[in-house]
Amino acid sequence: MVARDQSSWEKRPDMTAGYFVSGLVYTDPVIYRDESDKVFSKVWHFACHESEVPEIFDYRVFELDGQSLFAIHGEDGAIRTFLNVCSHRGAKLLDQPSGNAKSITCFYHRWTYNSQGSCTGIPRASGYNDVKRETMGLREVRTERLHGLVFITLDDGALPLAQYIGPALDRFSDMLTSQPLEVFHYNQAILECNWKAWHETNMDLYHEFMHVVLRKTQVNAMPMEDRKLVVFEGGHGGSGGDLKAAYDGYDGFAGRGGDVPPLPGMSATDFRFINLFPSTAIISRGTVVRIDTVTPIGPDKALLKMRGLGVKGESVEHRRIRQKHHNQYWGPFGRNVPEDMVAAESCADSFRNQAGRYQIIARDEKMAGQDDAILRAFYGEWGRRVGRDPGAPVK
Amino acid sequence: MSEHEAIVALIGKSCLTLDDGNFESYLALCAPAYSYCIKVWSPELRKDMVWLEHDRDGMAGVFESLPEHLQRSGRLSRLAAVATIDAVDADKFDVVSKFIVHHTDVEGRTQTLAVGRYNDRVVRIDGAVLLSEREVELETRDLGIGLHLPL
Repeated sequence: MVARDQSSWEKRPDMTAGYFVSGLVYTDPVIYRDESDKVFSKVWHFACHESEVPEIFDYRVFELDGQSLFAIHGEDGAIRTFLNVCSHRGAKLLDQPSGNAKSITCFYHRWTYNSQGSCTGIPRASGYNDVKRETMGLREVRTERLHGLVFITLDDGALPLAQYIGPALDRFSDMLTSQPLEVFHYNQAILECNWKAWHETNMDLYHEFMHVVLRKTQVNAMPMEDRKLVVFEGGHGGSGGDLKAAYDGYDGFAGRGGDVPPLPGMSATDFRFINLFPSTAIISRGTVVRIDTVTPIGPDKALLKMRGLGVKGESVEHRRIRQKHHNQYWGPFGRNVPEDMVAAESCADSFRNQAGRYQIIARDEKMAGQDDAILRAFYGEWGRRVGRDPGAPVK
Repeated sequence: MSEHEAIVALIGKSCLTLDDGNFESYLALCAPAYSYCIKVWSPELRKDMVWLEHDRDGMAGVFESLPEHLQRSGRLSRLAAVATIDAVDADKFDVVSKFIVHHTDVEGRTQTLAVGRYNDRVVRIDGAVLLSEREVELETRDLGIGLHLPL
């Protein structure tokens, strides 16, 4: 028999546990709530790059798991993060994605706050008997910086960031810190898929074959067996050694449209990536860095935020070339990213009504080539945190 | 045809040829030194961004590579309304048009994909008006799954 009948299609795959994932992890509303409570409310998340709040009182608003937060650069140099919610009646304090505010004033009743989250003003405070300004500060969210990246966690009892990340970012420290970087590209998109379906595209090397640009520049740029992949405790995983790209293989990419100094520790043809559990990917193509992070909006909807980083203070011409390198692959008009989105939404479409039942993540190439080990590490951590077997998440 | 009518027709044809995937005809509307870019203001970064930039050869390369790429299915429909035409000199004009791009999927459902402005420099060469520069000033910043085609 070549095609499969109903029972063969629907039954648990006959393969090692951990080598497949049930489609229910993308669609089940109870699992979705579990993820919110046990993953997104508990772990560290990339919030923004410090270059997005360079000056005192600069702020940056962002969404995490449906909640609005803002990071603000305080007078003391610290970057703090708060829920974007007034202590009084719950109105959203800041409605622009970024800005500069010495004092934050709620539009509703004019309560005011400073950059340390203290409530600094309550109009006609004498009208209250048991509301004291000193107890009406904003809800501060733990914030730490690592290599210029600002991370936050909603869990006051979470492990310190360094312990959470472990050595996963070590191979990026030179690149991210030897010279100041800044974000020059930002775009976001609402995807009609579960957040994991997007993030899988960052963890799945095997899908290189989907992209003509990668078939021509990457798949044959180095022997598959020489690729080194690595996974870390906590569900993080990426390239252990640099992959290579042969840009001349794709028409129009010869010379990549100009030379620009590669980032520290990289050559212009290196490709390095790390996926931080649960939903951040940091990817470098030698001269430019992409950081993307995805946050759930619902079981079937996700908000994807993508950044491109270059060298702060570089010449206009260098920036232009670096932008070109970024845009060749990434951004809404890149040769690569829109295709990943097609894939994520296509899989979601199949699992939405259980036409698709399982995803297979069983490639085992001894941590080389297009091994699925990074996906397996992710789902191992996901299962541990959610308390469910990714292959059979619903009894 | 008046100069004004010729320029309006040029902008209209630039939309129709892209909609129809008639890229050779699109490029025939472009001067040899044609340049194209998509610019977007980011309120998140408080900076202008460039999302796509090509010269004429680069555009031709994009068009040639399209069949090999995995793309959003369906069709795009660009509608431009010329708002102003300012003569820079006898053979050079700055033209601003408002545009809207709709996407119709394979099931026939149409949605607005993007809005913005075309800031065009039009030149007259050998009596014909041609696009010399097109800056797409994009207002829409969430393009969903994105696209390989210029707007």
